[in-house]
This record gives sequence, structure tokens and C-alpha cells, in this order.
Amino acid sequence: MPEPSLPLVKAKDMAKKYGDFIALHPLNVEVHPGEFFGVFGPNGAGKSTFIKLLTGQLRPSKGQIEVLGIDAVNDPQKVKANIGIVPESESPPSFLTPVEFLEFVARLRGVSDLQETVAGWISWFGLEDKQDTMCKDLSKGQRQKVMLASAFIHKPKLLFLDEPFANLDPIYQRKCREWLLDHVKEGGTIFLCSHVLEMAERLCNRMAIINDGKVLAAGTVKGMKLTPEESLEDVFIRLVGKSIEDVERSQETDDSEE
Amino acid sequence: MTYIESRDWSEVPEDLGKFVSFETSNGGQIIREPLRGLSAFRATFKVMFHEERRKSLEFAKKRHMILFPLMLMFVTTIATIGLQFLVGDSAAQTSDIESKTFTWNELRFGLHAPLLMFSLGMGTFAFMGRDAIIQRTASKNYLLASPALLPLPNSIAHFAYFIKDLVFYVMLILSPIILGMAIGILLDGIGGVNTPLVWKSLPWTWMAMVATLAQGLALSFLISALWMLGRPFTFFTPLAVVAFALSVGTGVFNLNHALWGMYIQENQFIGPLFLALGTSIVIGAFASILIRDDFDVHVVQKGDLLTPAYNRLGFLGKGTIRLLVAKEFVDLFRSGSIKKMTVSYSIPLLVLLGMAWLIDFAEAPIPINLLSYAPFLGFFGFNFYSWLTILDSPDFMNGLPMKVPDLIRAKVVVYFLATSWISLIFIILMAWRLDEWVSLPTSIIVMLANSIYIVALTAFLMGLRPNRAIFDASIMIWFWIGTVLPLLGLFLLSFTQGDVSLYGNWWERTSEGGLAATAQMYDETMVQQGYLGMIGISTFLLFASAFLWKLMDRRWGKAEFSN
Repeated sequence: MPEPSLPLVKAKDMAKKYGDFIALHPLNVEVHPGEFFGVFGPNGAGKSTFIKLLTGQLRPSKGQIEVLGIDAVNDPQKVKANIGIVPESESPPSFLTPVEFLEFVARLRGVSDLQETVAGWISWFGLEDKQDTMCKDLSKGQRQKVMLASAFIHKPKLLFLDEPFANLDPIYQRKCREWLLDHVKEGGTIFLCSHVLEMAERLCNRMAIINDGKVLAAGTVKGMKLTPEESLEDVFIRLVGKSIEDVERSQETDDSEE
Repeated sequence: MTYIESRDWSEVPEDLGKFVSFETSNGGQIIREPLRGLSAFRATFKVMFHEERRKSLEFAKKRHMILFPLMLMFVTTIATIGLQFLVGDSAAQTSDIESKTFTWNELRFGLHAPLLMFSLGMGTFAFMGRDAIIQRTASKNYLLASPALLPLPNSIAHFAYFIKDLVFYVMLILSPIILGMAIGILLDGIGGVNTPLVWKSLPWTWMAMVATLAQGLALSFLISALWMLGRPFTFFTPLAVVAFALSVGTGVFNLNHALWGMYIQENQFIGPLFLALGTSIVIGAFASILIRDDFDVHVVQKGDLLTPAYNRLGFLGKGTIRLLVAKEFVDLFRSGSIKKMTVSYSIPLLVLLGMAWLIDFAEAPIPINLLSYAPFLGFFGFNFYSWLTILDSPDFMNGLPMKVPDLIRAKVVVYFLATSWISLIFIILMAWRLDEWVSLPTSIIVMLANSIYIVALTAFLMGLRPNRAIFDASIMIWFWIGTVLPLLGLFLLSFTQGDVSLYGNWWERTSEGGLAATAQMYDETMVQQGYLGMIGISTFLLFASAFLWKLMDRRWGKAEFSN
């Protein structure tokens, strides 16, 4: 029996609070090599906070985080240097062209054969005719392609993707999906956040559903279902809907107590 | 296999103790060190320079962008030729000309002091960086926000931004000025044109101006970086700025030590030049180090502020302006900018007030009185309005049934409501200090008319992007004509008021005898004419503001919401 692998990502009691508002309750997580792990939840569930904490974009209010053997709380720059991140709603710098931005990222990430690599990704995303257009003048989908290219450009083993296919047309959604699946097959690891459940079924081998900053359930996609007939959407509504009912019920209790 | 579980907040202690490695794997990846120091600076600087050029071009368009340095060059050429009159070197000089003209040192001060003020206004990079981080998910994103996502330290990004701005302004502003001077010297002897300026002074003038520019940008950067650290710096930094400005204004601190470029130009020593540039860069680097890698955009839950703000603005009627003014006020308070803006608006006024306290103006060569201060208050409105335009991205309004002129007008109203009380307190304190209560009502009228006019003019000419417009020659020409003429008129007319028994004032000299004038006492008629003149100009400015208010639809009616 093979020895269990060490995780690539491990967080212990990682939490985030803004004033009195708890964006993410203390959470323990481990992500192992070769996994395509998805975190799903409704809007405002804490998915983006989750990914930002793991990637060093945010400092946790509590807890410890280690990514690829690097302390993500105290050396977030080093974490960022060794992973790929696609943020949820960020665009490339408005006044740079896609080529300039990718060159900038490639330089920061120490990519060798810079020109060729950039040209390769521009071509892969079909942006040749837009390579000299300033990013502010690109469509949202084209900007998203530039952001995806900037996350892939240094071929990181570990990718963090937050709603990666937002605004992409179906052709490039499929192209990216296939690339990501190949990446995992070749030993890569992906941590994905989304509210699009279809992605869980198509991509993830394990998933978690979170709401109000708390994990409601986790497991394989198949294991999340109570019956084989239950769809993932039913699972989602069952878990999240119940949680909302709880909130409503507690509100009703509060009202009656008043 | 992935493992994940949540716990309750209370289950976990606040302090988890010293971090002990979890021994996670690198997954077979070669772990890279992120670029730091000079390598990170090199990778960032050049791209930031491209970004700056494009940002400026986007608003000003190529033609106007080229016109701006050309305009500077042209104005400097004229000034170079006119220098002979300013320093009393012209053919028309008389035996006592020296006392009625400027000394070279005064002219140097006239060059370096405004340059320092300009650079102080442009160097608040810590504020800009924070705004870029907060707005990175909005429609525009800038390289200054890239450390949030990329392996680039925030300090390096800010330092690169500081150096980039320095180089950009040297190229766009200082070099055209020197070229203008060079053209002035080239014209010497052609068609009776003369200039006392000589070739060998040009490199020193250029280097001295670079030193002043670097000094202003670095100091402003440091002040903004200290402010971003929070308390106690938000309290002590403005106090230190006021104390420093006062000590320079009252002569306690030597002007040569305060204006490094002026000292360099006067003495032409290479040592102080390197020292000044080196110190500015060190200050800039230190300010950069103070910038933390903090990308938290605080999620704070607040009660509804819009409705109470809206309800309090009943005097604005029921139209769109009222709603937009309420929204702007919510932005001002929620972003914390109200504190920053009020302090920055108050600092120059506190310095002026302190100067009035510490200096006996009866001994000054210019008879400054309460009415002399009033016109200048409006000028500080430009910065306040500029900040108002970058509080929030207005792109979302493109889909709403409102027009750009509505938003511009709302910002003018917000400026007026947010600052006029500060100006009013200042002018009352000044009236008390100078014991000029009689002039107070007129001063208030002049102050209000000027404030409204200058912000209305700024808003009309520059719309939602005043920061970009300063490099657009076609706009800046109109801005200067529109502001300098009435301001100068009011300022000169103010000398006919206040202590009219004062001898040797400028108005006498210029209006009657030119440079050869002798001082004499004002008569009552001139005082009356001066008073009526000020009221007349102020009334004109109010009408002009109303006219610009109306014209706003014509100029910006078809524009899209974008800053």
C-alpha cells in the first residue's frame, strides 16, 4: 500500500473576521497532490476569502497556513511566487496590452524564454489580434483569458482558481477545462472556488460546500449525494437551503422573544 | 485525500503560539524565491512608465499631450525674454531701479516654491496605492495594485511608482521649461530681444528644479505613508507639517534649508545636489518601506446612511442631484476620506492663520489684509474636487437614468457643503486676529464667490478626471486664464483696503508710476473704487459660476461615466 502523500496546502484554524463580522469561521484544511478540489457555495459564502487567505492575499485573523512548505502568513510573497492565481473579479492593468502584462508577470515569475512563452499563451487563448490593444479596451471574456494566461504562464504545480470561467465563451470554457484536467493528470493540483455546480461534476474529484463562512459538507461528488438520483443542485439546496431555513427560524425565534 | 472541517470561533484560541511547520510537500516543484529589491524594481519601473504615458494620453489625447510641454516651453521662452524687466536689467532702468525690481534670489524662490507645492500635491503615493488596491475589482486596474496578486512587494511597487513619477515629471515639465529658457537665450540679440540668462546657468537650473521636484514628491510620499500607518501618525503628521511650514514662513527655519533646489541653484555646488537627490531618494525609499503588504479591504457592516443623508438634503429639492449628493457623502464618510480631505484642506489655512499670528504684516512690503486672503481660499478647492472624483468608480451609472453633468454638479455641491464651513471659520479667526471685522462681510462674499467659481470652472473644464486634465494644454490654458485673472484682480484690489494709511504699496506703484512710482497715501475715492471693484468681480464670478453650471450639459451631456 503506497504511503499517503504529504499535503501541498494545509491550514489550521484559519479564520477571517472584519470587525464583528466573521467572513470565515476557523477552518482546518488539507489539499493533497493530484487533487482537483472545489469549494462551492452561494454568493457571499466566504469562498473568495477562503482562496485569498490560502494564497497570501489576505492575512488571517487567526490560524496558520502552509503552502508548498512555505509559511503563507509570514511569507506571502514566496507563496505567490510559486503558485498560480486567478482572482474572481480582477482585470489585468487597464493601460497595458495583454503582451505587456504577460511579459511583466513572466519577468516577476522568472520565466525563461519570455517572448516565446508569452507568444505561446497569447496564441493559445486566441488573442493574437488583440495583443496590442490596451486591456481596458478588451471585452470581459478577453480580460479573463489574460488573467488565466498570467496564472498559467510559469507552469505552477498548484493553481488557485476563483470563478475561472466567468465571462468565457463555451469554446474557451471547454478548452480551459481540458487543459486543467490534463494538468491534474500530469501531477498538478487545483483548488477551485465557484458557485457553478456543473464545474464540480465535470472537474472535481473532491468538493466542499460552504455557507456563512462555515463548511457544511465535504467529500467526493458522488459521496455528497444521498441517493444516486439526487442532483448536485438538490444537494446544494438541501445543504444551503437548510442552513438558510435555520437562519430564518432563528430570526423568527428572536422576533417572538422580543 | 482532502480533509476539511469548520470550527466555531470560540473554540479556537486567539493566539495559536509559534508557528511550527506542518511539513507540507512542494509537490515536486522547484521553489522559487520571489524577486525582491533591485530586480523587482527593474521588472516594474519600465512597465509603470508605459502605463503612466498611456493614462495621460487617454484623457489628453496625443495632440494635447504634446501641446502641454510645448505650452510650457513657449511660456518659459517669453519669461526668459521678460527677465530683463523683472531683474531691472532693461534699457529703461533708472538709478533707483534695483529697489523696485526682483532680486535673482526672489526669482529663484518664485520658481522653486510653486514647484515644491506642485510636487507636494502630486506625491501622495501611499493614498494612491491604497485606492488602487480597493478599486482593483472595479472597471480600471493599475500596476500599483499588482502586489495584491503577484509576487511583488508593495514597497517595491510604491518605490517604482515614486521614481517613475519623478522621471515622468522631469521629462514632461522640467525639461520643456529648460528648453524654453534655451530658446530665449538663442533669441538674444535678434530683433532687439535681450535676456540676462546665460547658457551656463541652464544645467544648474535644471538640476536644481529636479532636486526641488524630488524633494516635494518624497516628502509628500512620506507624509501619506505615515498617515496610512494610522494613529498616532494621523494626529501628529498634520501637526508637524503645520509647525514646519510655520517655522519656514516665520524665518525660524532657513528657507535655503527648506528649499534644497533653490540653495543648489544659488550656490551651484555639486555636493549639495547629490545630497539633495540622495536624501529625496532615501526619503522615498523609507516611505516605501512603511507601506505594508496589507491588501485587506475591510468588510464592515453599517446601517443605512444614504436615507438619513438624503433626508437632510431637502434644500436640494427632489431631483437627481439630491440623491447623488447623498451618495457622495456616504462615499466620503465610508471611505474615511472625509478625515483625510478635511485635514489636507485645513493645513494650508492653519499655516496662513499661524503666519498672521506670528508675522506683523504692517512691516511687509505688500499691505496684506483680510480681503487679500479671501480669494485664495477658492484655490484649495481644486485638490478637494480632484479627490471627490476618485472616491468611487462611476461606471455603474452608465446603466442608470442619469447624466454625467448631474454627477459633476453633485460633486461641486458636496465640495461646497463639505469645505465652506472650514473656510468660514478661517476667515472669522483671521478677522479677529487682524482686527478687521469691518471687512468680514465683504471677505465672506469674496471667499464664497471664489470657491464656487474655481470649483465650477474646474468641474466644467475637467469633468470627472481632473487629475488627468492637468497635462492637457488646451484645458490648462483656459484654467489659468479663468483663475489667474480674477484672482490677481481681487488680490491687487485688496491692497486698497485694510490699513489704507500704509505707505509704499504695490498698487500705487504699478497703477500710477510703473517701476519708477513713489509711494503715497490712498485717498478715499480709491478705497471706494477698490471696494466696488472687488464686489463687482465677485458678483461677476457668481454669474460666471451659474453660467458654467448651465453649460455643464453642453460640455459633458454626452460623456460616459468614467474616471
